[in-house]
Amino acid sequence: MNSPISRQRRPINWGKVASYALMMVMALVYLGPLLMLLNTSLKTMPSFSRDATALATELNFQNFAEAWKRANFPRYLLNSIIYTAASTTIFIITGLFVAFPIARKYVKGAGFLLTLYVIALFLPPALIPQFQLILNLGLYNTPHGFILLFVVNAVGIVILVSSIKSIPKELDEAAALDGCGYVRFVWSIILPLLRPAIATVVVLHAIGVWNEIITPTIYLTNEKYYPITRGLIVFQGVYGSQWPTLAAAVLMLTLPMLVLFLFLQRYIVSGLTAGAVKG
Amino acid sequence: MNYHFGRGFSRWIPYLLLLPGILLYFVIALGPSIATSIYSFTDATGLKGAPVNWVGLDNYREFLLLGQAAKNNLAVLGRTLIFSVLVSSIQFVLGLLFALVLNQRLWGRNVVRTLVFMPVILGAVIQGLIWSLFLYPLGGPAAKLLELVGLKSQFLGGSPMEAFLWVVVVQIWANLGVTMIIFLAGLQTIPSEYYEAASIDGASGWQAFKNVTWPLLTPSVNTNILLNVIGSLQAWQLFLVLIGYRAGTQVLGYLIYATGFGAAGSLTQSFRQGYAAAASIVLFILVLIIGMTIQTYLRRREERIMA
Repeated sequence: MNSPISRQRRPINWGKVASYALMMVMALVYLGPLLMLLNTSLKTMPSFSRDATALATELNFQNFAEAWKRANFPRYLLNSIIYTAASTTIFIITGLFVAFPIARKYVKGAGFLLTLYVIALFLPPALIPQFQLILNLGLYNTPHGFILLFVVNAVGIVILVSSIKSIPKELDEAAALDGCGYVRFVWSIILPLLRPAIATVVVLHAIGVWNEIITPTIYLTNEKYYPITRGLIVFQGVYGSQWPTLAAAVLMLTLPMLVLFLFLQRYIVSGLTAGAVKG
Repeated sequence: MNYHFGRGFSRWIPYLLLLPGILLYFVIALGPSIATSIYSFTDATGLKGAPVNWVGLDNYREFLLLGQAAKNNLAVLGRTLIFSVLVSSIQFVLGLLFALVLNQRLWGRNVVRTLVFMPVILGAVIQGLIWSLFLYPLGGPAAKLLELVGLKSQFLGGSPMEAFLWVVVVQIWANLGVTMIIFLAGLQTIPSEYYEAASIDGASGWQAFKNVTWPLLTPSVNTNILLNVIGSLQAWQLFLVLIGYRAGTQVLGYLIYATGFGAAGSLTQSFRQGYAAAASIVLFILVLIIGMTIQTYLRRREERIMA
């Protein structure tokens, strides 16, 4: 039955053809804007004005040097890294010691506490009182005030709690019998066992902080505190019409994110689908 | 639950260590969120040391009932709803379609999955800038495509209606990956034996979808509907990056930000934060009513399917 002749006679699978056609369209819609960015970043301003979509004939790497020099990117990048690393570290350490006793019901009212985290999605925006708080604490326009705003993450706690529940409780008892204390148990037994969930929560939280644009616009007016998102917006305000330079700037900040994304993809995906399919 | 790690003082250690995290959550997130309702009854300005007075329901009355401004606000409310309906319905249908296509054994499906998911990680600023370039009116790719059929457009600089619809497009483009991934995860939980049984019974592709895939996908359907509706009611970052605070395009989230902190985003003058807090509560109530209604409907539907 496997002769070439019978294979030829098999009717064309139109479903497959349509699927591949749709896949091509999807790839184009998602790759197209990125390719346009890449192409523009390699062009000179005159050639961009002449024909914006024509393929770059010259490789004008000048744009990258200029964007890097003019935009103060090293500073903004460093700020973003500090904000992201500091807030994520504080959140994970404090969050672990919130999630563990809640998951194990080692504190009274554990169920109620968990509810307080679950309802966060529905609560009114905290924007205005948060601002009043930071202002009155004298933390407006300071890096530590900015970091303080990102040391909590309700969704992260919910994910951690449900992951801790999948670790057998007998482990606690056995460790305690061996004389292991609470802190050491959480830190050197639960934490390593929880590594996949922690990675997911860290990645989700860090991406959120890194990409945040509203908060830096409200809280950081001093240019030397700008994270990269705010720096890019300001750069766009100045170089808005010079697309080759602007495209080079955007691309320089997109590429590292894309590379990182390829490595971290599975953690992001598992975080977004956590609990979504169980019902 | 039995606690094994000692008695006496040791019993208090979990509480002590829980405290910093809980306190931070109360002070930074939960407290301010609740305090929004209190601020909504005041004339707070956002200036340090300025007096804050109780004004009762004045902010709400002004927001919903007084003159032209209230009319504009109601238009903003309506636009927020339209944005949410457009974004969540289109994103739902396309996300399901993409997931169904990419759940088959096709060559290159992982590459396409990654591509569709990619914008999620880039964030609103980069998403917005990439699309501003793509929609460059003086000969950008989108303009070239329109030229082929003899049309011209200013895209984001065009009529408010057109600019608004482009934000809808970019919003869907940016978040479709999440919807698709949740559907894909759901599809992968459906045992393949069900499809084999359906095909033995002579079910067509459509019948298999209707009687196997769709009912068994219920949890991901519910998650996607709720996430998309609530998310799109609150979303406005792309408006900020793509078109700015422009009459005829605003949604409620952006209105709150602009009245509370100024459309340009610098604190050089006093702003109406009490009024903005009232607008936040209006948004909250909108999200709550719509979210609860959908939740109730989805739960009934799920019970009907499972029965």
